[in-house]
Amino acid sequence: MTLEIVVMIKQVPDSQEVVIDPVTFTLNRSAARNVINPADENAIEAALRIKDREKDVHITVITMGPPFAESALLDAMARGVDDAILVSDRAFAGADTYPTGLTLAATITKMGKFDIIFAGEESTDSSTGHVGPGVAEFLGIEQASYTSNTWIEDGFVYAERELEDGIETVRMKPPCLITVLTNSNIPRNPTLRMKIDSFRKGIKTWSLADIELKPEWVGLKGSPTVVKSMRTINEKKREGKKFKAGEMDKFVEELVSKGILKL
Amino acid sequence: MSEFDVIVVGAGPAGASAAIKLASAKANVLLVDRADPPGSKNVSGGVLWGDSLSQVAPDWEKGPVERYVEAKGVSFLTKDSRISIDFRSKKFGEYKSGYTVLRTKFDAWLAKKAKDSGAMVVSGVTIDKLSMKDGKAIGVEQAGETITADAVIIAEGANSRVAINSGIKKKPSDRHIALGIKEIIKLPEKTITERFGLSSAKMGFASEYVLGFLDGGVKAGGFLYTNKESVSIGAVISMGDLRNNNQTYSFNIIEQFKEHPFIAPLLEGGRVEEYSAHLVPEGGLAVNSIHGNGYMIAGDAAGFTFSNGLVLQGMNYAIVSGIVAADSFLQKKEKGIGAGANFSNYTDNLSKTFVLKDMKNFRGVDAVTWSNSIHQTIPAIAEEAMLNMFSESGEPKEHLAKILFKSLKERKESKKDLAMDLYRMMRRM
Repeated sequence: MTLEIVVMIKQVPDSQEVVIDPVTFTLNRSAARNVINPADENAIEAALRIKDREKDVHITVITMGPPFAESALLDAMARGVDDAILVSDRAFAGADTYPTGLTLAATITKMGKFDIIFAGEESTDSSTGHVGPGVAEFLGIEQASYTSNTWIEDGFVYAERELEDGIETVRMKPPCLITVLTNSNIPRNPTLRMKIDSFRKGIKTWSLADIELKPEWVGLKGSPTVVKSMRTINEKKREGKKFKAGEMDKFVEELVSKGILKL
Repeated sequence: MSEFDVIVVGAGPAGASAAIKLASAKANVLLVDRADPPGSKNVSGGVLWGDSLSQVAPDWEKGPVERYVEAKGVSFLTKDSRISIDFRSKKFGEYKSGYTVLRTKFDAWLAKKAKDSGAMVVSGVTIDKLSMKDGKAIGVEQAGETITADAVIIAEGANSRVAINSGIKKKPSDRHIALGIKEIIKLPEKTITERFGLSSAKMGFASEYVLGFLDGGVKAGGFLYTNKESVSIGAVISMGDLRNNNQTYSFNIIEQFKEHPFIAPLLEGGRVEEYSAHLVPEGGLAVNSIHGNGYMIAGDAAGFTFSNGLVLQGMNYAIVSGIVAADSFLQKKEKGIGAGANFSNYTDNLSKTFVLKDMKNFRGVDAVTWSNSIHQTIPAIAEEAMLNMFSESGEPKEHLAKILFKSLKERKESKKDLAMDLYRMMRRM
């Protein structure tokens, strides 16, 4: 029987290209190009590695986002993912992590059978880490977060979780959900052949009607979070003092006089 | 049967123009660029001269252009002086000059145009080489896989990995390559219009400079172009000089240019927004033949750039060569002999355009533009002559010819070299 894997990804502005507006202090994303969220790239790679080792694996990548998120899905397909679904509807706009998780859970339910769901640990543009675990809760399945390695043995899914005090290996019975740490593997590069094939195959697009949720459950209406205020923290100015090589004594004296260093 | 009619390698002005032309003629085209988004690794000084693009994109002047060049300068910079021609003309309405462009915007716009015309545009993949069979290109190779096409248009730019790996182009020598370095400096639109004395925010200034004052006598040409809300400033540096001079670093040269007493005020208050560097083809044709069995070479990859010290051009040559390459494929295809054809018609067709005519007529001009005479002797003599003419010392005035002759006599450079360079200048510039 086919092992069905779903990878949930998000398209984010490339964090290296996002600039902070010096006047309004808001993030200016318009200058940045859109990429797959870095941790999600690792999630895709984790899924592909299972496909490399196991027989009869089918991977579908899904995202909730605007129409231009298509490029992220095509990118995933060019790495070896079989199918892609873009869940896109004006009704989803303004969603916080709660309706986002609900929307993705409804999409996966609608897709039919699933065995493993992968997601990146968190996104670089909001860093909540809510959506993956949220989907597991909505679907009522087991989950493992903070993982760096996953494999299948005797019908069980094993995952290594990187915790503060060590690595914990957990065993789960599918269906289950796994969130993957950033940089936990090296994502493969798409080849020209695979890019061409993914362009030809294309993606599927689903709307609110396809996943059968009520409009008031999704988007801004379905979001319990209210942002009360936002402020920026002023950066502490560095003194910018320089010491030349051979001035180590002076450097140490300076640190001691400032109370940074105790002799 | 091939998977594509044509694979175009490189989404710069040459490649994108070719792809638009081909896709508009219902050919099955793949346009591949190593950068993602396509063209984002491309760099140029930033003036697109002429109107060649209208052949494939009639609406381009309403597209991603910055300012129309109404003022064109050429200057010699010595340590303390600037000797300039600052040409401004209302007649630039009827005589086509050019537009300043920012390549990240411009190339993305062209690639989108190619996609909208029906080409498949793939970015973020670097092609390794041509795939050859029985002496014919049958497509391209990437990661060990072959993607087949009836023809390949190599428009990969100055850094010609595919052409070199396929053995159809030699690795360039120092004489055939220069280093271009460029910064984009952000300034308010109004400041630019006022500072450069432009008639409106739509109008721009473009100038070339001979940088005759650089540390260690390194030879470089400078350029400064105004965009809507930024200034593009940069230098094109002789690769040989850089290699022979261990004291000067390329990044220092653009700093010296920016700090020159008559450049610094133009940039005051600006913030560096972008820094880039790229190879610039020099010295004319970079390949023995621009066509072969199953392939054609267009744009910078073929060495289609023009520089006579007064003006730097490349994008217009790229566009025309890309379009002519596309046309030449369509010509063969119509006769049913597109696949792996010997595209000698490309060379023939391009010979009728300014691209190959200029290449032929201005062959060897680089010997003048990179000469000591242009970079040192002439600016020094001119500076002294101007100082003598435009000052009052209480002494009786002298004739210009006498002033020039006197300062020439005091220079230690070889008079014979100068005479040779002047002769070449008359002949080649």
